[in-house]
Amino acid sequence: MSSQARSVRLAYTATSILVIGFIVLPLVFIVWMSFFSNKILSFPPEGYTLDWYRRAWEMSDFRNGFFLSLRTSLIATVVALSLGLPASFALVRGRFRGRETINTILMSPMIVPGIVGGSALFVFFLEVEFLTGWRIAGSSIGLIIAHSLIALPWMIRLVTTSLISVPPSVEEAARSLGAGPLTVFFRVTLPVIRAGVIAGSLFAFVNSFIDLEKSIFLVGPDSTTLQIALINYLEWNFDSTIGAVATVQIGLITLLLLITDRYAKLSRAF
Amino acid sequence: MSTTETFSVSRPPGGAPKGTPRRLGTPMLATPAIIFVAIGLLAPLALMLRNSLNHYDPTELMVSAITPENYLKFFGDSFYQGVLWRTVWISGLSTAICLLAGVPVAYFLARHVGDLAKRMLLILILVPLLIGNAVRTSAWMLILNDKGVLAAFLGLFGHNGPLGLMYSSAGVVIGLISVLLPFMIITLNSVFESIDRNLEDAGESLGASHLTIMRRIVLPLALPGILSGSVLCFILSMNAYATPVLIGGPTFHMMAPTVYQQIAKVMNWPFGAALAFILMAVTLILTVGVSVLVQRRYRKWSE
Repeated sequence: MSSQARSVRLAYTATSILVIGFIVLPLVFIVWMSFFSNKILSFPPEGYTLDWYRRAWEMSDFRNGFFLSLRTSLIATVVALSLGLPASFALVRGRFRGRETINTILMSPMIVPGIVGGSALFVFFLEVEFLTGWRIAGSSIGLIIAHSLIALPWMIRLVTTSLISVPPSVEEAARSLGAGPLTVFFRVTLPVIRAGVIAGSLFAFVNSFIDLEKSIFLVGPDSTTLQIALINYLEWNFDSTIGAVATVQIGLITLLLLITDRYAKLSRAF
Repeated sequence: MSTTETFSVSRPPGGAPKGTPRRLGTPMLATPAIIFVAIGLLAPLALMLRNSLNHYDPTELMVSAITPENYLKFFGDSFYQGVLWRTVWISGLSTAICLLAGVPVAYFLARHVGDLAKRMLLILILVPLLIGNAVRTSAWMLILNDKGVLAAFLGLFGHNGPLGLMYSSAGVVIGLISVLLPFMIITLNSVFESIDRNLEDAGESLGASHLTIMRRIVLPLALPGILSGSVLCFILSMNAYATPVLIGGPTFHMMAPTVYQQIAKVMNWPFGAALAFILMAVTLILTVGVSVLVQRRYRKWSE
């Protein structure tokens, strides 16, 4: 390696360390902060404690928000799976006109900005309420609809990617041997695209769990997701309770993403 | 989608012979998903477009009408134009910084690291992206705060006094860059990887310096990716909500928080709807405009 090549390489390495550090370090600091024993935040800390985790757990906004987010995202993932799996088949296996249009429609919840989609949904729900008296905004149904919309495109994107790599001839062979469409799906196709379905579900779950922009319109007094509880708290307070909640979320999502990465390369999802 | 093409090429011409059972893929299978998106997104958007033409009355809230007054209000009010202008320049600046910082990292990942290290680094870049805006923004509040990490660190070097980064445009730009950089890096990385390495080696063997190779070979070839990465970053930052609200504070106005304010707090749905469509239209016009300009220039460049 020439000395010029070496210095070029060094420059790239140094820049990359700086930039990746810029992306990652804030999270490292917030995890660190969750263990500080100081009542008033200061650096360096006076000592360490686990007390903030207890306090975060005792705050009903955070505890209930966590369970509501968990439940909403789980249901949204199931909805996205049951709508997205058949739709992925239509998109990949289908040979019909307008397939591109259908793809664009199904991806549109990802393309339309969260605040725009959220406000449109909020006004829509309230107008439905004026007409029928059925209260959706502020209820868990409204949240589930919004979160399923967030989850659906991610599910379809990852499932179609994995379905494309399965040659239709495999399914045709099973059909020609007399298997019905459902048998083909459950016994032939699903086992092959299992990794894509798992990755799609995890990704759908994570993206629903962290949503802020759509949920902010739809939460009610007794149905506040974790993300909304966090920013409500942040508006008036900043202490290590935030660090404790953030650390739990960082741990959960990192774990889910590491599992996802075993099934499908994460960077392909974007 | 290249894999589909491979398969369709390897299949006998004319597709499956007649008489074979129908394949699983019928448009019917997509119907439930389409209905769901139509009800959950397309109908609400259509309703919002209609609402943007309604009249707002402080006591009756929304009165049905067909009037351009909400759009005219926006263009007649220097406050809201200021909000739009701030949103545009903050987004442009954040996108430019992301491009400058993203190119070396994406190129480093494509050319200078092994497979395993690359996979690990990509996860390291993606985890902060998928950690959620609330947690990531709170982490930046911890850093930028006058009594935060950065102030303590600078204190070691004798810098005292407030940093003034919280509730400032600089703080918002820093917060936005940290959201957008992962998108930029991943988009650019896949483009750099698709460029034939031999072209760079050829340039080098003919005596070109690394900067010349980047400027004359790699970046022109990567232009479509540079463009799509920048467009993505620009769109995301035009619509950013959490960063301007939490780091910018209550007096720092950008478009997405203003849409939220008008629709959920003031309950002025017609004006809020008009703001949302102005935001989407301006984003679309700017991204398409810049793309066309850059591509036209690029055509001259490559001739």
